[in-house]
Amino acid sequence: MTDQTDQADTAEQELRYSRVRAAMAEQGLEVLLAYGPGWRRENVRYLSDARVAGSAALVLLPAVGEPVAFSTRPADLGVVAARGWVRDVARLDLGAAALSERLRDLAPSRVGVAHGELLPRALAAAVTAAVPAAEVVSATALLDEARMVKSDWELAQMRRSAAVCAAGWRKFVDVLEPGLPEYRIVAEVEAELKRLGAEDNFMLIASGGDEVTGMTAPTPRLLEEGDMVRTELTPQMNGYWLQICRSAVVGKASDAQKRSFELFNEAVEAGLSVVRPGVTAHEVAVAENDVFRRYGYGEFCGAQYTRVRGHGHGLHLDETPIIEGNHTVLPERAVFIVHPNTFTPIAGYHVLGDPVVVTATGYEVLIETERVLFESAAGVAA
Amino acid sequence: MKRGLVVLDPAEVSEAERAGRVLRLQRRLAQEGVTIALDYADVHRSDDLAYLTNLCLYWNEGILAVPVVGEPTFLMKLSPRVHPWMRRSSTLTDLRSGKGFTALVEGLLAGVEPGVLGLVDAALWPATAIEEVRAAAPGWEVRPLGGLVREQRLVPSAAERELLRQAQGHLEAALAAAVAAPEGERVALVERALRGAGFTDVLAEVVRGPDGVAAVDVSGQYRFCWVRSARLVEGASPPWVAQLGKALAAASAVVAPGVAAAVPAAAGERVLTGLPAGAVASATVVHQADLSTGGDYADPAEPLPAGAVVVVGVEVLFPDGGRVAVTETVPVEAS
Repeated sequence: MTDQTDQADTAEQELRYSRVRAAMAEQGLEVLLAYGPGWRRENVRYLSDARVAGSAALVLLPAVGEPVAFSTRPADLGVVAARGWVRDVARLDLGAAALSERLRDLAPSRVGVAHGELLPRALAAAVTAAVPAAEVVSATALLDEARMVKSDWELAQMRRSAAVCAAGWRKFVDVLEPGLPEYRIVAEVEAELKRLGAEDNFMLIASGGDEVTGMTAPTPRLLEEGDMVRTELTPQMNGYWLQICRSAVVGKASDAQKRSFELFNEAVEAGLSVVRPGVTAHEVAVAENDVFRRYGYGEFCGAQYTRVRGHGHGLHLDETPIIEGNHTVLPERAVFIVHPNTFTPIAGYHVLGDPVVVTATGYEVLIETERVLFESAAGVAA
Repeated sequence: MKRGLVVLDPAEVSEAERAGRVLRLQRRLAQEGVTIALDYADVHRSDDLAYLTNLCLYWNEGILAVPVVGEPTFLMKLSPRVHPWMRRSSTLTDLRSGKGFTALVEGLLAGVEPGVLGLVDAALWPATAIEEVRAAAPGWEVRPLGGLVREQRLVPSAAERELLRQAQGHLEAALAAAVAAPEGERVALVERALRGAGFTDVLAEVVRGPDGVAAVDVSGQYRFCWVRSARLVEGASPPWVAQLGKALAAASAVVAPGVAAAVPAAAGERVLTGLPAGAVASATVVHQADLSTGGDYADPAEPLPAGAVVVVGVEVLFPDGGRVAVTETVPVEAS
């Protein structure tokens, strides 16, 4: 790394650690354990900036002193240490001997565990046994809040993800043609995303007409002329996930599909129009849902038809949910997607959404892909 | 993540065989006096669920409830919108969605005479999920169980071996192309080839060591089975690289029924000499049934059962965080 890169790197680590330690001080936490099971590694990544692969990993961050990282996978230890943010690394197994030793040495009176709700029974027991006098509390919200406000460095990573989103969507549209099985679409898109350096991707898909009620993993279903093919692509670049939601028609869009797009696009615009520092997730969701209500489709904004009207992005792809009733404040530099994805009888499940970053005066859309109902007339031969 | 093909095909695994898997578990539950087995699954660790029901848990977490008599129920934190797809792609008919496990388990136990709730692989359950189950089951005994379903998965049936064979064939073909491909194209090539062949999940990585040595290491899920293969890319071949193949052969030669997984691993490690300074090398023996978790939770003292299929691996870790790996898939058979 160059000196400039080293300085930026050190500054980023110091920013995160000072933010987290300030929160720890507010809550009287002497030790923070950031637990990362195989499917929720964001907090380990946040504190180590290392990509781990083990089924379970942990970063122990004391209020004062050096952090320690643990993983069930031996190869992770070298990866974490080489990254340089956490140089003290040790193996993690269900007996947690190394973790227990570190905890005993620190003898904290109050320990916060981020994703403690996912901590395996065996590890939870080891923590309790190591520091029986300590009060162990949840620190999940502490790290969720810390991660919400993105630094310049983080936003740069997310802009890279945005570029890959756009490329993934172009490939998606390019390959659509009648006779192609859904899973072959995914294969082509995955190849493109990985060619561009994505670490991972979260992608759901659904093809068909107005009978489609939601997206899933791909099926063997063959595309037909007139199908609307919906997808959300969420590539992960250097740890950071960003999502694009779009729908495309195989051939020419029907009037119903166009009407559906107009409804959903108006809902996206409405959601975006309220975005400013301090807006709540609830307010964004209400703005989107009110469009559906105005046109008589309010019933399709409920849990029977839709999960969320968007969600936060960052080191986890599904951060704070954009739903009515979630009064989480979205501050400047929060990143989330506005996507009113749901079913309506107009043309079935429709997917449309853009990721944005909250700016001082409003928002910035992070992707360049135009928000239209795409139509495809060509593709890879089946 | 799991974004590849999910398909339920009775031509691949018969309905009778699928039902037989559940029946086998239920016989075990009866023997152990368990009324209902609960098997926790999340995106990362869901092989029991896939094996028993063919369900692909592509997001979030859930609990598969298998009564000692009757049909399984899946309690999940996913939306009911995906139930139709789950019914089409799995053997499940009873699917229940909710925000928390306490309410879901309460619903499951409503009207059932209290007995024993057995938590499969209890040590791996989130402690919080166990408390949620306890809160939902006053009057019930909540009993930790071992890996009952994993034990069934260790020895593949003839149909499963055929799927493993197909998967391995796709994987080896993809790897052969990848190791000869230009840098920057290898992972993309593997993804296109394997997901295009119907793999549900693909974890592909180009790993690097010193002296220009690199390997392509791929694990993949095909239907409910997992395979892994790691091959050196064409090009640099300093003298120490030859040790990897020798270690692999030495370890593979010792794989036999009744032998603990640690024994072939040790045989391989004895051969790993002459490596670059600072390198840490190891040999591993991981069941195909444990590949989704990389064998992280497996016990190296566990004897290898006849009929199992294991992946023997040799991995070298370097001080800069790099690594190189090679593997061989070996059936556990008497020689």
